[in-house]
Amino acid sequence: MFACIYIPNASGDMAAALRDCASTFSPRVENTDAGTVVFDIEGLERLFGGYSEIAEKILDRARRRGIDDANIAVASNPDAAVCAARGFRGVTVIQRGMEAARLRDLPLRALIPSMEFLETLERWGIRTLGAFAKLPAVQISERLGQEGVKLHRLAQGAAARPIVPHVDAVRFVEVMELDYDITTIEPLTFILSRMLEQICSQMRARNLATHEVRLALGSYVRILNLPIPVRNSRLLTKLLILDLEAHPPGAPIKCVEVEAFPAKPRIVQNGLFIPLSPEPEKLELTLARLKAVVGEENVGCAEILDTHRPDALQMKKFGLNGELGRVSAPLPPGTKYPTSLTLRLFRPPLEATVHVRNQTPIWIAFHGTHGSIVTAGGPWHTSGDWWRPTMWDREEWDIETADALYRIYYDVHLDRWYAQGVYD
Amino acid sequence: MQSVILRARLESAFGERIPSPFTDIDRRVFETVPTGIDSLDILTSGLPRGAISEIFGPSSSGRTSTMVSILAKATACDEVCALIDGHDAFDPKSAAAAGVKLNRLLWVRCHKLDQVLKCTDLLLQGGGFGRVVMDLTDLPLPQVRSIPLASWFRFQRTIEKTPTVLLVISPESIVKSAAALVLRLEMFTAEWSTVLDGLNLDVEIIRSRRARPLNSYVRVHLHSECIR
Repeated sequence: MFACIYIPNASGDMAAALRDCASTFSPRVENTDAGTVVFDIEGLERLFGGYSEIAEKILDRARRRGIDDANIAVASNPDAAVCAARGFRGVTVIQRGMEAARLRDLPLRALIPSMEFLETLERWGIRTLGAFAKLPAVQISERLGQEGVKLHRLAQGAAARPIVPHVDAVRFVEVMELDYDITTIEPLTFILSRMLEQICSQMRARNLATHEVRLALGSYVRILNLPIPVRNSRLLTKLLILDLEAHPPGAPIKCVEVEAFPAKPRIVQNGLFIPLSPEPEKLELTLARLKAVVGEENVGCAEILDTHRPDALQMKKFGLNGELGRVSAPLPPGTKYPTSLTLRLFRPPLEATVHVRNQTPIWIAFHGTHGSIVTAGGPWHTSGDWWRPTMWDREEWDIETADALYRIYYDVHLDRWYAQGVYD
Repeated sequence: MQSVILRARLESAFGERIPSPFTDIDRRVFETVPTGIDSLDILTSGLPRGAISEIFGPSSSGRTSTMVSILAKATACDEVCALIDGHDAFDPKSAAAAGVKLNRLLWVRCHKLDQVLKCTDLLLQGGGFGRVVMDLTDLPLPQVRSIPLASWFRFQRTIEKTPTVLLVISPESIVKSAAALVLRLEMFTAEWSTVLDGLNLDVEIIRSRRARPLNSYVRVHLHSECIR
């Protein structure tokens, strides 16, 4: 048997109150819409007596929670209970097998059909559930389609479906108020380790993992985003500690709150022909440690920007989108890259003194290197972004000195020579 | 003569328990990976996995181009590589033009030698990288020379049983006996028309744990078509 609580013209915030009231009777509560909840009351008769007593109890508890104008209905299927609660005021109990008889006088609006459907039935002179239930099912199907068949069964009180219980979103939070302030990161390791172990064991019990961990140290908040879901407490502790070492809180710590946002765990199927790549969890830890050594902006993979500006690149997080373990499409047979000469860059470019004869550089000195230029090729004129303050305009040369090959350039705006790099 | 007698006595004493006790049956077989330069692969049979390879030479001797070719070959086979750039001198544009898949190359931009050593340690301990390249080229030579031999042996022990190739690029040979393969590069000529056409370089095998090839020199031509 199922019970339904319905509040006419309910506002959005009543849904939680209705759910709370229903959940005192049953753990299986369906939030049908903003003012309607249906829940399973099978077996409660041993506790409260007959279904009428159960319905009275429900009404009593609803009133105690400030829900005064609720309609309560009890029926053998959820949809009949919902129709009865919407159609009858106060408490209604429909015995098993009596659904069609009790619902027959209700108006069609109790089914909440579409306006088009309602107009069609009104044109046919059908205004009550009883009249609609008497129509033959085959003809209903031919004329009104599947929606008509579904509503027809509802009108007969014969629709049987399982309820869809409401499940509260699970939060994995651990909070610890400290007896005394912590001013260094090291003691925090033990606290975080314990809290994350708790959270990870809870997630393991629900077969969940996390890809985002929020750490709040009072008003100081750090968010750790992971490219893959993990539930390894040691890994999370190390990542959080490395992050805190890179971005220390500016004040003593009085309260620690850790929240992990759940995600489905990663499922991996290994294969013999998958190329060698680091394990994602280990890679994340290695990257965090590398960042601690050289700085966050100096670790990643290079992304060349869509511009002709020399050395225009940005650092991207390495291993995003799980692309490392994938096999890319094989190159067409015969594809071969030429063994090409590569440039090593001087960052920033080194200012140089250059002597020019017949518009060709003949001697250079920069950064402890000087000598005659044996051969020079150029110039290649390149410029861009003339509408921005970061414009560039330069003439590039490839030069050969007695010991090496360099790329140099003349900055037209600054009227200076620079060594950009060495061919190596 | 006495040593021969002693050896015969020991062999008979061990008997069937340890047959041929003085024969080195555990000679390691190095699996190798190609460098992407055909003539160099023929000369060296490739770079040994689980060992250190060193490429050294002066400026414009083709060290970086060889390194980029090795990375291009590895990333083309979908292996994940790491470059520990000692002086932030790597040019991703040249590398991409030479065929390196940049999304499979972890680039660590260092500015000091101790950063390079720490990062190498972390990457080798982390594991899973096909090639780990230490570029020590532009670091001050006295500092590079001061790297203790024990560090190289530690690196070598870390990757010994793994498929990782640790490649060291330096201005002079520093890895010494910890390296399984040492190559010296030198510029032979630069080819010019009106523009820089390419570079010819000589490659010499200084050390190889594998059987020494008949010829230890090879000349390699580097094209310049990708530089602009």
